[in-house]
Amino acid sequence: MDSSSGSDINLNDLSQNDKRELQQFVSNEAQKAKIQSTVHYLTDMCWKRCITSKISSGQMDSYERPCMENCVDRYIDSQMTVLKHLEQLRGQI
Amino acid sequence: MDSFSNTLGVNQQSKKQAWMDKIRQEAAVEQARALIDKVSDNCFEKCVPKPGSTLTSGETTCINQCMEKYMSAWNVVSRKYIERIQAKDV
Repeated sequence: MDSSSGSDINLNDLSQNDKRELQQFVSNEAQKAKIQSTVHYLTDMCWKRCITSKISSGQMDSYERPCMENCVDRYIDSQMTVLKHLEQLRGQI
Repeated sequence: MDSFSNTLGVNQQSKKQAWMDKIRQEAAVEQARALIDKVSDNCFEKCVPKPGSTLTSGETTCINQCMEKYMSAWNVVSRKYIERIQAKDV
């Protein structure tokens, strides 16, 4: 199969079912990409906080691994706290 | 007529499949590119604080270990993050 075969698809030729399936597929892929980009962001940020000593092995040590996990948890907690407080402030106006 | 529309259906099916494969592949390439960028940034920062005239063997070892460590950190974060967003939805 040549590489252009994917791009010359005529979406109008597709059945309703196929269209729905493709829409679902694209929206799933978009969601996956969004999650992965958040994981990239979090790994970068938490790495800077948790991997503070010299690199001496390819494995995370007993401090680093839980630190990375806590970092993700606390980041999401913080995000929730911000949202909750924003909600409160909005109620006051 | 029946066999004609059948052939068309199979053709569309394979085109659709090719299209999906292409999207999946592009997503994977983008994903790998983002990871390589982050690893390069963070491991250069960590392993080559004072760049000399060559990359020393110590620096090379550090970069290789750092890369493995970064990838396992990525997996830990991914697992944890997905666990959290799934818990939130319930």
